[in-house]
Amino acid sequence: MGRYFVKRVLGTIPLLLVISFLIFMFIHLIPGDPVRNMAGREATTEELENLRESMGFNKPLYQQYFSYLNDLVHGDLGISYKTKLPVSEMMIGRLKPTLKLTFFATLWSTIVGIAIGVLSAVNRGKLIDYLGMLIAISGISIPGFWLGLVMIQIFSVKLGWVPTGGLDTWRSYILPSITLGCGIMAILARFSRSSMLDSLGEDYVRTARAKGQRERLVILRHAFRNSLVQVVTVIGLQIGGLLAGSVLIETVFTIPGLGRLLVDSLAFRDYKVVQALLLFFSFEYILINLIVDLLYGVLNPRIRLK
Amino acid sequence: MQTSTFIDQPIKKAESRAKYYFRKFFQRKTAVIAAVIILIFLFFAIFGPQIAPFDPSLPDYDNLYGAPDAVHWFGTDEFGRDVLSRLLVGTRNSLGVSLASVLIGAAIGTFLGVLAGYYGGIIDSIVMRGSDILFAMPDILLAIAIVAIIGPGIINVVIAVAVFTIPSFARIMRSATLSVKSSLYVEAARSIGCKNSRILWVHIFPSTVQSMIVNFTMRIGTAILAAASLSFLGYGAKVDEPDWGAMLSSGRNYLDIAPHLVYFPGLLIFIAVLAFNLLGDGLRDTLDPKLK
Amino acid sequence: MYKRKILFVFIFLTVFAFAAQGLLTVSAQSDNAAKAPDQDLVIAFNNDIRALDPHNVSDTLTISATRTMYESLVKFNEKQEIVPLLAESYEISDDGMTYTFHLRSGVLFHDGTEFNSDAVKANIDRCKDESLRQNRIVKQIANAEYPDPYTVILTLAKPNNTFLNKMTMFDFIAPATIAAGEEKILREPCGTGPYTFKDRVEGDHVTVVPFEKYWDGAPQVASLTFKAVPEDGARVAMLQTGEADYIYPMPTTQIKVVEGKKDILIDAKTSNIMRYVTLNTELEQLKDKRVRQAINYAVDKDAYIKTVFNGYASKVYSCYPETIQYYAPQPPYDFNLEKAKALMKEAGAENGFKLTIWGDNITSEEKGMQFIQQQLKQIGIDVDVMPMEANVVAEKIQAERDKAEVNMWYVNWSASSFDADGAIRAILHGESIPPGQYNSAYYNNEEVNKLMDEALAITDPKILQEKYARIQEIVWDDAPWIFLASDQVISGYKSYCSGIQLYPDGAIDCSKAKLN
Repeated sequence: MGRYFVKRVLGTIPLLLVISFLIFMFIHLIPGDPVRNMAGREATTEELENLRESMGFNKPLYQQYFSYLNDLVHGDLGISYKTKLPVSEMMIGRLKPTLKLTFFATLWSTIVGIAIGVLSAVNRGKLIDYLGMLIAISGISIPGFWLGLVMIQIFSVKLGWVPTGGLDTWRSYILPSITLGCGIMAILARFSRSSMLDSLGEDYVRTARAKGQRERLVILRHAFRNSLVQVVTVIGLQIGGLLAGSVLIETVFTIPGLGRLLVDSLAFRDYKVVQALLLFFSFEYILINLIVDLLYGVLNPRIRLK
Repeated sequence: MQTSTFIDQPIKKAESRAKYYFRKFFQRKTAVIAAVIILIFLFFAIFGPQIAPFDPSLPDYDNLYGAPDAVHWFGTDEFGRDVLSRLLVGTRNSLGVSLASVLIGAAIGTFLGVLAGYYGGIIDSIVMRGSDILFAMPDILLAIAIVAIIGPGIINVVIAVAVFTIPSFARIMRSATLSVKSSLYVEAARSIGCKNSRILWVHIFPSTVQSMIVNFTMRIGTAILAAASLSFLGYGAKVDEPDWGAMLSSGRNYLDIAPHLVYFPGLLIFIAVLAFNLLGDGLRDTLDPKLK
Repeated sequence: MYKRKILFVFIFLTVFAFAAQGLLTVSAQSDNAAKAPDQDLVIAFNNDIRALDPHNVSDTLTISATRTMYESLVKFNEKQEIVPLLAESYEISDDGMTYTFHLRSGVLFHDGTEFNSDAVKANIDRCKDESLRQNRIVKQIANAEYPDPYTVILTLAKPNNTFLNKMTMFDFIAPATIAAGEEKILREPCGTGPYTFKDRVEGDHVTVVPFEKYWDGAPQVASLTFKAVPEDGARVAMLQTGEADYIYPMPTTQIKVVEGKKDILIDAKTSNIMRYVTLNTELEQLKDKRVRQAINYAVDKDAYIKTVFNGYASKVYSCYPETIQYYAPQPPYDFNLEKAKALMKEAGAENGFKLTIWGDNITSEEKGMQFIQQQLKQIGIDVDVMPMEANVVAEKIQAERDKAEVNMWYVNWSASSFDADGAIRAILHGESIPPGQYNSAYYNNEEVNKLMDEALAITDPKILQEKYARIQEIVWDDAPWIFLASDQVISGYKSYCSGIQLYPDGAIDCSKAKLN
């Protein structure tokens, strides 16, 4: 297990290298010129050329990649073209709101989602199942940005219960976490329901029942534990998706997080920031995957780790 | 082999099985209703332009943001165009994009996922690291990147949404395959000397179909929403042609003064996704071999 | 049982939908008395603030922020006249070559040092660095003399009538801060402005507080915060809840929402923004002047303003709006389909043709492009709307001339220093044809080019008026664009705010801001 873990962690290094190259090529190959964005529209051709030269954009692409890689190895992510601040400093500043948001969204949606899923599966075909699945389906059917705007209108503007956005108090996080978590809650509810149903139909559950164990115990100890495998996969998959979701949510709720930084930087062709962020997201995603894979083994003894 | 599914049965038997599944499916009223709703949407998609009461692109600058009334049942939009007509005509674009992209993504993802799960080793590593890379990028950003590279347009949006559908199918099918692989009947098949390809496509693949159907229906909803999000960020298929997602996105600017511009396309998206999900559930219960 | 479930779905849907709609349409009038809850002024903008280096800013929002802390020798007043600021007075020699500025005495930087000719020298010297944006001003100066602490004499390399306009953009940083390097300038801005820097949370806000020793009297608010709120709906919501006291821009579609409310006021002004569509004059279909004029006649400008700007835009009668110097109105291309069709026929294009229109992929631009599409359909021109990300459009516009694909480009231009040259050179001069600049009409009229170049060296306003009027007349008749309208800059604010000036370029002057 320990060796497996070390092997997997070391295995991510070449992966990250490949990703860093892909990201670099992607950002430099898509149309766009950060120099024009930096200099503004009124800049003359000569001014643009001066700026291009001083930024090192006239060097061959491979040289630019190697100097980027060199900086990266030395822990230097570069300076943002847009704000002239160090990229690492900007990212740290933006990480906090996104982490908080993701945490709250994951927390409530996991609890509520699994609860709905299990309750629905146990009460299959009854009203409670029906209600649960309706909530779940609504959760994935509603466009997040739309829900966010509507909730701002109702709870902030009309009722004045919570701020429209920002990150000043804990109350600022209520609406965005609800909006962001909706999708996961729904997906979790559906998945935990279907995998619970699977487990409930399995032989070992029937056996447990036949042995006369209490129903609640059967559900929790046998069925639920086994359905966790798929559920954990889904949570893992969805946390990566949360960052994408947070792009829209952070815009709607005026939260200066990583998602918005990414979209804004991409629009500005702020290469250094986009590269750093994409690399960070990739790393984060790989890490989560690794954890999911390891949990697999812990939760389902039928899958053995090599 | 009682728990295997209908696909490996001889054709004659399959007919009677089909009947059985139909009968079983029709017992589930919600699924039937969902199917009917989807059929209605398909009808709109085909005959939308014929049944639309107005020309969906005809502007009326004297009737901007008109509230729903006897003439314009769903009101008029920011150019005074009839919202109902635009929704009817837009069905084709909206459903077309999501269905096409999920079909493409599912086909590729399933193939890769089953292969990876069954064979393991190097194939597994390549497929999974590949989908790791795809997955590591936030969905929407990946779609934006693809549209940015290959340019805007309806086919490119389909490709973009399809690409980020692939890894989710690959992963889920892989894990489904993994859990089936170690089950008794597969081991039995292997022990009687079945070829890998036969075990893979005759024994394992059919038993992963239900996972695929659940994921498939959910991805259709996701795809509709993804297309809408792309529109929201300005990367939609086509701005001047009617499309639910585009209507919803542009309508958000008028939420306060003309809520019907947000309300109706939103509701339609909602109903469509709901219908696909209910249908998926129905199919799942019908096809699930363990619940026969 | 199933019937109950189905019923439930529909009840749920209906209740949900109507609850949402009901809550939205019920207009909960806020009865807030028009009294400021605190003395902290919050201004919400649509963009993030960029690098806080006054010598390297190019966007209006960041300029608004740096302007609270920095000042220039001269500035525009609300009537678009140039008036002294850090200079008490100035003289221009008759040949337009020498500018003498007499500096105001008793002006202090935030670090307590005095503003004088040494400080001017330090700033001019810094901007000799070609990578800085304000190098474009310093580059024009052939010789700078500092005869005494309160006199600066600048001699230009060649006469340029826009020099004084450009000097309104040249702000002064404390010499000690310049000496400490860019890092210091970005993190601890230090100028002579009415506010001093307090803090910045990148991506969220910049806060400044009054400078007690400001030469013109410290501002009366306790603090001033610029907040980035990109989403229109959220910005308006913040104004309604009072989280923001002042928002810019106020989206035109939402004005109706706040219009009736007694605690919210709207300020709309003619801007320096020109809205137009470039018509590629080298394109087979658009070569003929009559076709381009027909297109101008076929577009209903009133309907454009009403539909795309909800009425909050001004009609234009020239290739630049009236806020720019030497504006000369021309006979309008009034909406006239008959005339348009007749002109098309004359040009042999009565059967119409196909064109593409490019523009940014943001909602308001897409709306404008769709409007053009609808209008040109009336004279048989089939327009394909192609919105693209701004960077992509820019790159495609900057293609080599023989590979140019542009037909029409839905775009806008604003001359940041309100000079006529800045309003036309980069988009109408023959030398500004892409790649390089933005003359994507590929318009190249020898007379216009010559007039533009001659005008630069002239200082007599009378002759300048003649020259620029002639340019406007020719361009208007040649119709290399569809001349659409000029935006209005619109802000929304709580009625207890006063003294906040909104300029035609969207810049905001908070030096006299008050919260009552």
